[in-house]
Amino acid sequence: MAILETQSLGKSFGALTAVKDVTLSIEAGSLHSIIGPNGAGKTTLFNLLTGTFAPTTGRILYDGQDITGTRAHRIAHLGLARSFQRTNVFPAFSLFDNVWVAAFATARSWQGLIYRKAAAYPEAAERARQALSDVGLLPKADVPAKAISHGEQRQLELAIALAAAPRVLLLDEPAAGLSPEETRRMVALVRALKGRYTIVLIEHKIDIIMSVSDHISVMHFGSLIAEGPPAEIQRNPDVRRAYLGGIAA
Amino acid sequence: MRALVLILVSICVLPFIVRPAIATEIWIFAIFGLGLNLLLGYTGLLSFGQSTFFGSAAYVAGWLLKHYAINVFLALGIGVGVGALSALLVGYLCVQRSGLYFIMLTFALNQLFYFIAYQWTTVTGGEDGMPGIPRPDFLGLNFKDPLVYYVFVSALFLLSLWAMKRIVESPLGKILQGIRENEVRAEAVGYNVPRFKLLAFVIGGAFSGLAGVLYAMLFGIVPLEAISFVFSGNVVFATLIGGSGSLYGPIIGSFVFIWLSESMSVVWARWPLLLGVAFVVVVLFLRGGVVEAWSRFWTWQSSRHKASANPSAR
Repeated sequence: MAILETQSLGKSFGALTAVKDVTLSIEAGSLHSIIGPNGAGKTTLFNLLTGTFAPTTGRILYDGQDITGTRAHRIAHLGLARSFQRTNVFPAFSLFDNVWVAAFATARSWQGLIYRKAAAYPEAAERARQALSDVGLLPKADVPAKAISHGEQRQLELAIALAAAPRVLLLDEPAAGLSPEETRRMVALVRALKGRYTIVLIEHKIDIIMSVSDHISVMHFGSLIAEGPPAEIQRNPDVRRAYLGGIAA
Repeated sequence: MRALVLILVSICVLPFIVRPAIATEIWIFAIFGLGLNLLLGYTGLLSFGQSTFFGSAAYVAGWLLKHYAINVFLALGIGVGVGALSALLVGYLCVQRSGLYFIMLTFALNQLFYFIAYQWTTVTGGEDGMPGIPRPDFLGLNFKDPLVYYVFVSALFLLSLWAMKRIVESPLGKILQGIRENEVRAEAVGYNVPRFKLLAFVIGGAFSGLAGVLYAMLFGIVPLEAISFVFSGNVVFATLIGGSGSLYGPIIGSFVFIWLSESMSVVWARWPLLLGVAFVVVVLFLRGGVVEAWSRFWTWQSSRHKASANPSAR
């Protein structure tokens, strides 16, 4: 069953069409990757799915419900959580506070929001600790986010998304700028999360995509040009042409 | 704990060092600063329009005190309400924009309120201010006695400090700091950022309103400056000099600001120069204000102690 669907989704910025007529269907529990060259419109698609922008055309369905135009801050409450391509954490906060803020946002109750001690919400604290431990950062819980390495910040980025206890995880290039060793750790992490969440993954590193994905959609100049399981995508001549440009054509 | 002891000692000692009116003004201004700091220090919003709430509350409560002889606590309650309500109105318009546009909006709306007060002379007295605000007795307490009023204001200051401490240690405090740190991410994890900014405004406005009424009762007049941008600027200066990053910064700032302005203005008409120098020093070298200077001094002290206690480590 599809948990997230788009129907001829499109977004233009003035004369530029960043996303054009994208119809996607993401199966619950699957790992669905979106690949494509730079500027193909992948991140814009994510921004549409998470309410950062409203689409110009088309609809977004989540769990059968139309969520087109839902504002970004409501999206997290629906069970969709995203990570960002460029590290986007709370720099002065400790790692724990980084994930705590995300956990509290989707907590069942905000009772006592302005007078209870922040420490008096065991559910949020537990979820925050769990998210940190899922990405292996629990030992550094008290370290400020600006003091950890880039690789660890990418892991934190993922932990913030996890702390919201989402049903669908939208990961925008989790391995961006990582060393080979850090990339291996990130792949292992994403693989461990597979099955627990429905994952939509944007990635540039083709080898990662081929090894973890159940299903791949390929974008080029804002449109979908191919879709299918990894093996099929690998053989697709259109995909090769999009990636290699004039050389393969 | 140490901070609280220090504050309690200051409250006891202050009226013996400066005139009670000045001592009282310090704590009133500190309440005003606490409210601003929730916006400036915690949420990262520079509001140049805090006197809108301070002045509005002072005028409304002052007018009721003068013409309807309401009791002190009702006046304070009304002040808090007017402060919060005017902040709701102004904040609602301001939080729609961010950065420079936000700052200009707070300033422009402040000017709007200022000119209303300036023109509406039948009520506000315009440039002459609204004089004749009484300080009625309550429960047999003679508020006309400057020391009694001082104790009363100090108690309200402590109450405000306690309330603000609760607020900044609550989830709201964390969320506001999250907005300061990274607005985009705060929105993405599920917070309605403009709504939270507005909430910070309203709380800040309530504190400003309380300060405004206490101010009106202290001097028996609401001067036109109480709603002017000069007042808005003063509270920003004071808070930055004290240290906007900490709960206690505005208190120290208020102390420095009021004490300097009262003691220096008698001796030297150009005293605001000093303030300017202090401000430049803070902005260039000490972003955390006096609070940061203090903590830097102590880390330096303790590192020196360690070095002298353990010569081999040199």
